[in-house]
Amino acid sequence: MNALTGHLSELGHGVVTTVELTVVTTIAALLIGIIVAILRITPVPMLRGIGLVYVEVLQNLPLLALLVLFVFALPQIGITFPLFTSAAIVIACYEGAYMAEAIRAGINTVAVGQAEAARAIGLTFSQSLRHVILPQALRAVIQPIGNICIALLMNTSLAAAVGVVELTQAANNVNLVEAQPIEVFTGAGIAYMLMALIIGFTTGRLERKLAIVR
Amino acid sequence: MSIFGKRLGPRRTVAMAAVSAAAALALAACGSSSSGGGSAAGSAPGNGLGGSGVLAQSVYDNAPVASAADIPAGSTMAMIKQKGVLTIGAALDAPLLSQQDPTNGKIEGFDADMAKLLAKYITGKTNVKTVTIGTQTREAMLSSKQVDAVFNTYTITPERAQQVAFAGPYMSSGLAVAVKAGDNSIHSVKDLAGKTVIVGANTPAVTELPTAAPGSKQVAFGTDPEAVQALTQGRGVAYVQDLTLLASDAKANPAIKVVGQPFTTEPYGIGLNHDDAQFKAFVNDWLKKIEADGTWAKVWQATLGSVVQGTTPTPPAIGSAQGS
Repeated sequence: MNALTGHLSELGHGVVTTVELTVVTTIAALLIGIIVAILRITPVPMLRGIGLVYVEVLQNLPLLALLVLFVFALPQIGITFPLFTSAAIVIACYEGAYMAEAIRAGINTVAVGQAEAARAIGLTFSQSLRHVILPQALRAVIQPIGNICIALLMNTSLAAAVGVVELTQAANNVNLVEAQPIEVFTGAGIAYMLMALIIGFTTGRLERKLAIVR
Repeated sequence: MSIFGKRLGPRRTVAMAAVSAAAALALAACGSSSSGGGSAAGSAPGNGLGGSGVLAQSVYDNAPVASAADIPAGSTMAMIKQKGVLTIGAALDAPLLSQQDPTNGKIEGFDADMAKLLAKYITGKTNVKTVTIGTQTREAMLSSKQVDAVFNTYTITPERAQQVAFAGPYMSSGLAVAVKAGDNSIHSVKDLAGKTVIVGANTPAVTELPTAAPGSKQVAFGTDPEAVQALTQGRGVAYVQDLTLLASDAKANPAIKVVGQPFTTEPYGIGLNHDDAQFKAFVNDWLKKIEADGTWAKVWQATLGSVVQGTTPTPPAIGSAQGS
């Protein structure tokens, strides 16, 4: 256990970075997801096309490839972001595609009659989305969104590959000194599990509170 | 039919556009990662780093083979001899040390050749089965006996020696500093204090740098080509890595140069199972033999000697490192 207790500050910094990355990207991914899901259901064919292309491109490329591409290819054309920012942008865009699909599934659970009724009483497309469709759609998909958040948390470990010292990289660094991989990575694994449990627990609470019982 | 065709038409176009856009992006991804990521690794053999980097067959043919008396029944050596193949843990992406040639699948370099010579010593043939390992898994692979030995520029440290046994040291190197070719402000590791420095993830540089350059900020990358790319793109002022690796990088890529002398001594050992003192003594005997008969020097010249300046070094004394 010395391998863990002797390096609590390094591992603690790693946990903080992982949490920061997870929170920032979850919020951004949710916003991207809502926007892309709306794009996919608009009456304008070109916007629908953009939404479709976004989802298909980002869902069908490995996150690691996207990260490496973003971090090493963009500087070649003169655009350099700090590493944490790069990782946050890429993970948010990637998970945003998954969020969009979950939210679109939620929108599909809202009966067509509701949209028709909203338009019939004179609401515009965006008003009917904001006041009628999205509130119901999002409540229907709290659990899938929670699952995506957990997947996102696990995916933040890939940021280690592009130089962000989050929990996985911090564990690697500690193991380099201590040569106790089983203790160190079990400890890191437990930390990930606790964070995932917190997300799962919060999602469960939210769902019980907000879900619409039909 | 015509109605069907009309209705399908536009949708198909969108789908096709999406697919082709995705394909184009994927291709772009492949293209730039190979031009960026592969630049050092890919062009290293092409630049002909001092000869072929491949050890001449005659060296294997003349390498020593253990006598039957050296291999008692029931020992690890006897089991390896019976299997006819030595199973080792090694990397596949370390130029001049242990790198797989994608055209023929052969693994070449100093570590790879040493492993083949050990296999020859035990079994009489150079049959080696290489298991790819990460720095995180070396200790576990050895203690669970999934590999017979680890040849992985495995620095001997007292902490690690509690988990594994080290034969050797069989090579000694040190951490050095590489900077962009046009940079004249950095002359040694001392000039890195307070600066942002690129290191290889899970390398000794991570732990050594805070002492050698106080206040420096580290940015770690998983592979050597990525770190070189990051240096040329200015993500740090310098790249701290093992001298042998930096020397081959600098030879392959004129945009970077090595400055100053190595500032640490890294004794590399052959990782073995912690409880197998008999095998450790056997491997140490073999090291002494190949160092005495000049085989060691031939391996060094064919691999690392092609990029490191100066004469062939004398191998470090067996058991000289703390923990070996």
